[in-house]
Amino acid sequence: MSTTTNAPAEAPSSTAARFNLGAFAKKYLIVLILIGLVILLTILTDGAFIKTQNLINVIRQVSAIGIIAAGMVFVIITLGIDLSVGSIVAMSAVVGASLAQTADAAVIKFPGLDVPVIVAVLAGLAVGAGAGFVNGFLITKFKIAPFIATLGMMTAGRGAAYIFSNGRPISTLKDGYNWIGQGSLLGVPVPILLFAIVVLIASVMLNRTRFGRYTYAIGGNEQAARVSGINIDRVKLGIYVFIGTLAGLAGLVLSARIGSGNPTLGTGLELDVIAATVIGGTSFAGGIGTIWGSVVGALIIGSINNGLDLLNVSPFWQQVVKGLIIVVAIIIDERKNR
Amino acid sequence: MIKRRGFKALAAFAAAAFLLVGCSSTDGGGSDTSSSDSTGGSGGGDVTIGATFPILDQFLQTVADAMQSKADELGVTLNVVAADEQTDTQLGQVENFIAQGVDAILVIPVDTDAAGPMTQAAQDAGVPLVYVNRKPSDLPAGVPYVGSDSLYAGTVEMQALAEMAGGEGNVVILIGDPANEAAVQRTQGCKDVVDENPGMTVTKEQAGNWYREEGQNIMENWIQSGDDIKVVCANNDEMALGAINAIKAAGISLGADGILVGGVDATSDALASMEAGELSVTVFQDAAGQGAGGVDAAMTLIGGGIVDDYVDIPYQLVTPDNMADFQ
Repeated sequence: MSTTTNAPAEAPSSTAARFNLGAFAKKYLIVLILIGLVILLTILTDGAFIKTQNLINVIRQVSAIGIIAAGMVFVIITLGIDLSVGSIVAMSAVVGASLAQTADAAVIKFPGLDVPVIVAVLAGLAVGAGAGFVNGFLITKFKIAPFIATLGMMTAGRGAAYIFSNGRPISTLKDGYNWIGQGSLLGVPVPILLFAIVVLIASVMLNRTRFGRYTYAIGGNEQAARVSGINIDRVKLGIYVFIGTLAGLAGLVLSARIGSGNPTLGTGLELDVIAATVIGGTSFAGGIGTIWGSVVGALIIGSINNGLDLLNVSPFWQQVVKGLIIVVAIIIDERKNR
Repeated sequence: MIKRRGFKALAAFAAAAFLLVGCSSTDGGGSDTSSSDSTGGSGGGDVTIGATFPILDQFLQTVADAMQSKADELGVTLNVVAADEQTDTQLGQVENFIAQGVDAILVIPVDTDAAGPMTQAAQDAGVPLVYVNRKPSDLPAGVPYVGSDSLYAGTVEMQALAEMAGGEGNVVILIGDPANEAAVQRTQGCKDVVDENPGMTVTKEQAGNWYREEGQNIMENWIQSGDDIKVVCANNDEMALGAINAIKAAGISLGADGILVGGVDATSDALASMEAGELSVTVFQDAAGQGAGGVDAAMTLIGGGIVDDYVDIPYQLVTPDNMADFQ
């Protein structure tokens, strides 16, 4: 390593007045990687990949990952991690679905109960927020490492989803509930719309509010942030409640999409979410990360999944290829920081 | 700055470490979900049977429920534990059962190629052991297996689909967990039947890992690939139902006029879908029969009797014609 290091990305240098093509390419390298991947897959699939319907499929299939990744950016910026999001998805899915079953379902969780769909939605979000609060509470009040606290929630949460649903999918849901995952508004599928709204809100939170500035400050140097009077515990608690709520939303979207609250939903999802976040340039060293980066990361993962299906790559090779592309994308992206 | 760089290296290491840990414990740690140890019968409470499951999903929960009701009926105590799909956890559970002095052990193995040590431990301790649902590859004489033939399930599923399709058209296969014996065998059964029909070809196959959501994603992608798909031969109902969601969303009709979809398991969701005219074929795996058969075999062994090495609980084909029998 050389002794000269690059200036912090957020501090504009005095010579930045004229447009610097090199710096621009560096900053948006991950976007170029995505574009390259799209071109490659389009050629390999004889144009099937680039069709509008297929692109809509790609984005819809990563909506849940993208929604949660927007929260994971905050978490990882503050040197945290949340392994429990997949299990929170399952809890929210079974609770949301149980409150949205129609009267003619074969197995009914709450017989005779008929509440508006909005209640089911709020319950799913509340489950997510509650689980996130527990994570945040353990991390800030008991000083448990985020890795451990959320690992506990990941295990217990999955178990809770199984207990609640007796290990069986909760099916035959109201049309209004299924609309969250299957419907569209003004021609845009609802999951994609929710993904976009979450990205917008998270971007504003991170870039335009005190909460966002504190998030970066804690990640940059927690000690300095503490000395400067930031209530670190409160910010961190807020971050884990935020990502928990987003995971709850993702659980609603996924269960509505398959028309069933399944306790196995979201198994392994945390890894895709973390991969999307990290591919998007959020650094495990803390203090660095963007929401738009995580969106690009999610789209890269979705494009790989979709493209390999179109090309009928064998399931074993799919995992190898996916892993390689993720690592290569990060290596290329990391080089810009040297 | 130097401090910062060291931190970065540490963080990178931690990242690698947690990815590894994360991978190996996707489904949670090795918690024993001791779901039921209720002593249903009051009379012969002396006999205790331990049962270890890989995980309690919808299907295996039905097997466990059937074991429990059979045990209640016979006045036997049943201890059910789940191994969270971890081979070593399951071996530990078998060892614990032996230490507790249970009279017999029922095992649905996590890994059919790694059952040897469990068999050995039970035989060394002289405790009768019965395998249920998944057949270990290495099974000594005197250790019975109560279950069904997965190859047969894939074969009858695809035969019925081929007949409905008139022996013509492109076939796609949704595979379960490709490392799992049932997925391999059911897929093989599907392919065997396709090979017998000169008008049919397998154009795509992909692992949906038994999940409805993955089956749905894969089918959405396949529809966009431009293949003229006639038949979806899925290894289980969950993936078949996912494929049906994708087909409906694409505005393609289901059944003989459009795409024929088949699954395995005859779950309540699958039967509801069949009733709605969407799912064409499923295959009933007699979960209750396997659970009860396992307890019966264990009781026979406890009483000093002899059980066949293979107790077949046959699969049954379910089509709209006979689905009422299974609802």
